[in-house]
Amino acid sequence: MSSDEPHARDEVAEAVVTSRRRPSIVWLIPLVAAVVGAFVAWRTYSDLGPEITISFESAEGIEAGKTPIKYKDVQVGMVEEIGLKDDLTGVVCTARMTKDFEPYLVKGTRFWVARARVAGGQVSGLGTIFSGAYLGVDPVREAGAKTKRKFKGLETPPIVTRDQPGKHFVLHSYRAGNVEVGTPVYFRKIRVGEVVSSELDESGEFVTVQIFVHAPNDQRVSRATRFWNASGVQVEVGAGGVNVNVESLTSLLIGGIAFEKPPGSFGPPAENGALFTLYENHDATRREIYTQKATYVAYFDQSVRGLESGAPVEFRGIQIGEVSDVKLEYRPDSGEFVIPVLIEIEPERIANLGMVDPATRREGLDLLVKRGLRAQLQSGNLLTGQLIVQLDFHKGAKPAEIVWSEPYPELPTVPAPLEEITGSVQRLVKRLETLPLDEVVGSMNEALQAARDALAQGQKTLATASALVGPDSPANSELRRALVEMSDAARSVGLAADQIQQQPDSLLFGKEQKQ
Amino acid sequence: VGAARGAPLNHALCHDCHLLCRLPEGAHEGECPRCGAALHQRKPRSLERTWAWLIAAALCYLPANLLPIMKVTSLGRAQADTIMSGVVYLLLHGMWPLAVVVFTASVFVPLLKLAILFGLLVSVHRSSRWRPVDRTRLYRITEAIGRWSMVDIFVVTILVALVHLGNLATVEAQTGAVFFGAVVVLTMLAAESFDPRLIWDRCEERPT
Repeated sequence: MSSDEPHARDEVAEAVVTSRRRPSIVWLIPLVAAVVGAFVAWRTYSDLGPEITISFESAEGIEAGKTPIKYKDVQVGMVEEIGLKDDLTGVVCTARMTKDFEPYLVKGTRFWVARARVAGGQVSGLGTIFSGAYLGVDPVREAGAKTKRKFKGLETPPIVTRDQPGKHFVLHSYRAGNVEVGTPVYFRKIRVGEVVSSELDESGEFVTVQIFVHAPNDQRVSRATRFWNASGVQVEVGAGGVNVNVESLTSLLIGGIAFEKPPGSFGPPAENGALFTLYENHDATRREIYTQKATYVAYFDQSVRGLESGAPVEFRGIQIGEVSDVKLEYRPDSGEFVIPVLIEIEPERIANLGMVDPATRREGLDLLVKRGLRAQLQSGNLLTGQLIVQLDFHKGAKPAEIVWSEPYPELPTVPAPLEEITGSVQRLVKRLETLPLDEVVGSMNEALQAARDALAQGQKTLATASALVGPDSPANSELRRALVEMSDAARSVGLAADQIQQQPDSLLFGKEQKQ
Repeated sequence: VGAARGAPLNHALCHDCHLLCRLPEGAHEGECPRCGAALHQRKPRSLERTWAWLIAAALCYLPANLLPIMKVTSLGRAQADTIMSGVVYLLLHGMWPLAVVVFTASVFVPLLKLAILFGLLVSVHRSSRWRPVDRTRLYRITEAIGRWSMVDIFVVTILVALVHLGNLATVEAQTGAVFFGAVVVLTMLAAESFDPRLIWDRCEERPT
């Protein structure tokens, strides 16, 4: 113990007292904790988006707390709860959306479960096999749309979402044919769109098919555009032969709709939602182009085997209409059977024809019939034996007039060519019957006698001639001798000619004697 | 019980140089005359500090349990788990022993520590004389088990470091883990700043 340690002597040291009174700095810790906690709580709460409910028929693939809601593969929400509907007809998913997606939770926004599926010839959602299903959303981006919190989910993903540029069109048809949701739409055999919906309209008389044509091909649809059902194989056996048409292999399997602009037509692109007719096939679209139709009746009194409704009516080989009906009619007053054939002529098929105006048509037709216009049955196809109705001018035809009767005016007819030949033969036979055969035979006998005399005379003349020039005749030997002498003379002339050529002077000095 | 104690004798032991000092009459604190270290008979402002740490810990306990502590991204599928959802997951998949361990270490023990410290503080404030031995034992338990609650944080840390398989699987720590770590640390500090001698002080104040 040393002296500088006084406390050691006192055993206990005296402590120095300093007064220090201020709140402990440790209180900063709960303060910081409170501030941070409050901040996190506020962040969490303010990030909390709206809660929505989506109803589905089944919750297949959806898991509470795990199934995200995605738009363009970006998560915009999460399914938090799955419950059954009160009446057990479906499920209700409660989902929490992100805050920035709130403006799009309006009327028209659609939700669906994205799973791997095969539809419309396409495979989609393969990624969900690994990552699990998610809910897809197709938001409405219109300002001022009605806010909505309860949605009805789609059972199948929409074919077209709103972010795809293009146009919707509505097609009316009597039958849906092979058209389903997802069926492709073709333009010049290139896929340019899809069928979005196909359903009966309210009256049940039409099928309303909604299609979507992607940009930029939606600009190719104008008011004049015609749509037709291009499903499967189209086989047509007509007067022109067999025609097989397939739009594409895909359309063979799942159907298809095709469209084209009629040649020569133009106009601005059709507006979104425009209404069109869906024709049954490509030919129907062409037929329908001729809106005007003039129906006539032509009575034929011969067999019309091979003539069907739909057979073409031609003028010099060009179709100007078609047969619409073939009937058999009995006329009790005359006891005859006649066959009225209704033909529809489309005046628009004939260029520059004033007939388009019905008022002038009548006069024009009267004039044409006066000049010999007649209807006639002709064989359209020798192989199939189909008949067509041919209109043409027949110069030698009996004068006839068009009968302007109701309901259809009657066109005069001329018999078919086959019948014409038969008629001519009959006429020939009749003429032959009336010929004076006996007289003919008598005069023929006389002629034969005269001929015989002439022949005898000729024989005599020939005998004289042969006596004159026969092998033993004097004239013959004389002639032979003359010929021999003539040849000798010719040889002498030849020798002389040679001599002169070799020795021209021999002409003056005579033949040189050989030594 | 007649044993010699520092407080009535106004003596204090220097923590640094272990010099036994006598404090002036009426004073509870001072400086060591030999080494200058702070002298105090009891941990200074023990109750105030314990309260502060305890309140901070309690404030952090809520977000620690409500916010996800870990996000597992596997094959493009993200899943964020809170502690309770992890426990439920383990329970549903039949791993109940593990579920019990996680629940005890991560939910029950921190809550227990908060409750014990709160109870001790209240009892000291009320100068309770109720079972001082048991209360001291509770305090010792609190101090001993404090560090074991860090198991969760370690698991998250190891997973985050190990599972980096790109698209196949990735583990990320979330805000909840930070708060959970804060709870563990703050309760340990609270337990540290509490002076168990206060339990006994009050027991003897009353009769005197």
